Amino acid sequence: MKVFFLLPLVLALLPGYSSAQMPSESSSTPTGFDASGSSVKPQQQDPAHQGETPNPQLFGMELPLLDPSTDTVKYNGGMFDVGNNAAVRARFEKYLQQVPDDSTEAKRYQALIKSILKETQKAGRDKNYAVGGSVLIRVGMALYKADKYPGDGGQSGTLASAIVSALDSQRQMLQRIRENQEMEKEMRKLLTEADHWQNENNRRPSGGNSKDGKGGERSGGPGTNLLRIARDVKQSAKLEGSQAANEAANQAAILSSKINYQSVLVSMLMARRFDHVVIGARTYRHVFREGDTKLDLSEDSKAYQLFSGGIGLPPTVNTLDTLASNARRDVDQAIQSVHGMLARNKLGEATQGLIQAVAIGEFMQSVATFPVEARQRIARYWTLRKRALTALNARDYATVEEVAAKMKEMDVDFDDSMLLSYTTGKKRQSDLAIRNARKALQAGKEEEFNKYIQEAGVIWPRNPNLDKGAEMIAKYDEGDSIKEEFQNLYKGGEFRKIARERERFKIVAIDPELAKQYEESITFVMKMDGMLQQIKSVADQDTTMGPCMAYEKMIEWQKEDPRYADDKEMMLAQKDFESRAHDFVQALRDADICEQRAEYGSALSCYYRAQCIYPQSDLAKQGAKRMMNVIVSATYE
Amino acid sequence: MAARRVRKGSKRRGKANLTPVFIGIGVILVLALIMSSGILKRGGSARDAEPTPNFRIADYRRDGSRFASSGNSYVFEGRIESIETIGTNRIISISLPDHQNTQERLPLLVPGNAHLRVNLTRGDRFLFETTCTTGKTDEGKQVKGVLVVKNVQTR
Repeated sequence: MKVFFLLPLVLALLPGYSSAQMPSESSSTPTGFDASGSSVKPQQQDPAHQGETPNPQLFGMELPLLDPSTDTVKYNGGMFDVGNNAAVRARFEKYLQQVPDDSTEAKRYQALIKSILKETQKAGRDKNYAVGGSVLIRVGMALYKADKYPGDGGQSGTLASAIVSALDSQRQMLQRIRENQEMEKEMRKLLTEADHWQNENNRRPSGGNSKDGKGGERSGGPGTNLLRIARDVKQSAKLEGSQAANEAANQAAILSSKINYQSVLVSMLMARRFDHVVIGARTYRHVFREGDTKLDLSEDSKAYQLFSGGIGLPPTVNTLDTLASNARRDVDQAIQSVHGMLARNKLGEATQGLIQAVAIGEFMQSVATFPVEARQRIARYWTLRKRALTALNARDYATVEEVAAKMKEMDVDFDDSMLLSYTTGKKRQSDLAIRNARKALQAGKEEEFNKYIQEAGVIWPRNPNLDKGAEMIAKYDEGDSIKEEFQNLYKGGEFRKIARERERFKIVAIDPELAKQYEESITFVMKMDGMLQQIKSVADQDTTMGPCMAYEKMIEWQKEDPRYADDKEMMLAQKDFESRAHDFVQALRDADICEQRAEYGSALSCYYRAQCIYPQSDLAKQGAKRMMNVIVSATYE
Repeated sequence: MAARRVRKGSKRRGKANLTPVFIGIGVILVLALIMSSGILKRGGSARDAEPTPNFRIADYRRDGSRFASSGNSYVFEGRIESIETIGTNRIISISLPDHQNTQERLPLLVPGNAHLRVNLTRGDRFLFETTCTTGKTDEGKQVKGVLVVKNVQTR
């Protein structure tokens, strides 16, 4: 029988466990990944039952069925990932941390259990093997011996006590049977005696006078024997009653004894003590020899449902034996397989195999003695797997990828493609939301910005680009003060400062009007810098006329746009040109002073001088023209 | 070249008790004077005008009004560098030969009503008799320290 793994995880693990169904995060998000990296989604709940509270009772009294193709357990219509179940995980982690007991006591215990199993197996197979006493004595003694080992958990003692209890009960039954036999003999004797007295009475004549006179004295006359008969019959009836009572007591005792014994076996099966189940089941026929192995289970009992609901077999002691034997074999095979996979560095499959072996046969010797080095290897892989799961549940995709890379290093067969596709998709989604947020911020749409930032955070909370979003938020928050500062600078004509801190002031571009001013400031400074560079270059090429030309250009620009005069770079450059074209500048300034004093002739002379220094000077030419017009327009004495 | 400042109407007077030698010298000087005067008149130039000594254009540039004290006349010998005609008036700029700085120009107003007997051309040298004066525009604005040409002599 290829089994549906009996997971008597079942009861042993968590009697009160409920709602073990995988928590569903969302329909699109896997709840976890198995060792191969495949996502496992919880089965969708039947819409018809959506209103009901799901309480599948994973380790309840129904036999769970393991589907090896998906490593999931079907239970009460729900699918559960064995590797992702919290209870199994905790149990498995505890197991991985345990050091196998290699002590002499442990080895002696293992040898003892093995010998008991061999003994019971031999007794079961060999038809000529003596049924009863000697086997039970050997098994019982060995069990009591095994009970002394702490790792046994008292299972051997319990089984031995059950056997002893059944045997005690049977001894009492035998005593009662013997009593009944004695009573039977007594009854027969009494009845024989009663018959004798009756015959005696029949032989005597009626009236009762005997010739010798003795008979009448002996029997007391014709009525004397009747009393004796009555006494015997009464005594016999009493004995018969006692006999019936003994028989009834025996029937009750046998039933009670069987129930007790069977309960122990069933509870051991549930506790995954398969060795003890096999021993108990095989000694059953030595304890109860009438051949009836049917389990006396109430149809309402959970144990009965365990059989009827899971495997469809009649509940008998032999069925218990079969189930336990199969479980033992499967666990042993799983452990062998784990060793093989570890040898080939297939840690994912080895982990999955071991977790199943532990879940089913934690107390099996092959599991309990699993080597510590192998456990540590699997523990390391398991820790990574757990980290991956935790990171995935926390949506920390960078960590997931990092862990997946390490798992791939450890496990040659580890397929991370699906995992990476998933994380990459999520990361891109988050980045896209941040991009949209940035656009929204640039457009001044605060609500949209908040929405997108929130979305990006939900998809990938540890997205490093979220820090940029946070910076954006901070900038946005301090936007008002920056805006005010920008406006002051703009009004004060400090365009160069705006241009110098253009990144900081970029935020003001949210306001369309300020955006124009921002653009204008940057453009203005760029244009100014270009012009400055140009005239500096010319001034450097021709050291005689160049500075004059540069100075005159600057004055022209300032006349065109007075904002140039306020720029510090412009002012510095102008000072430089002024010093380099000192005579020319002085001539123009003198002209200006003279003009203000109405000394137009002197002013004209100054302009002439400026023209002599820099003949192409427009300022000098225009000034001279202006002076001449004034001079000729006047009337002189 | 030495320039001397000349005041109009100032003439030396001879002493009454001149000796015959001095009389003779005086006669010779008079004759020489008459002769030189005849030569100047033949060339269209004024023999009595001499360039004003110690005139510096730089001083004029700094403070033109100072030169406009009433009745101040100045004679300049210089080369015409440019001529600008505005209406009937002309403004010429001259460079003075005694100025080492070639970047100095002196502007002179040649009014349209000035009766000059010479033709002013750029690059020629002349002796300009000028008056530094203050004018007034129609709007009542003062125009100080303008050198107005009164006469021009060829040189």
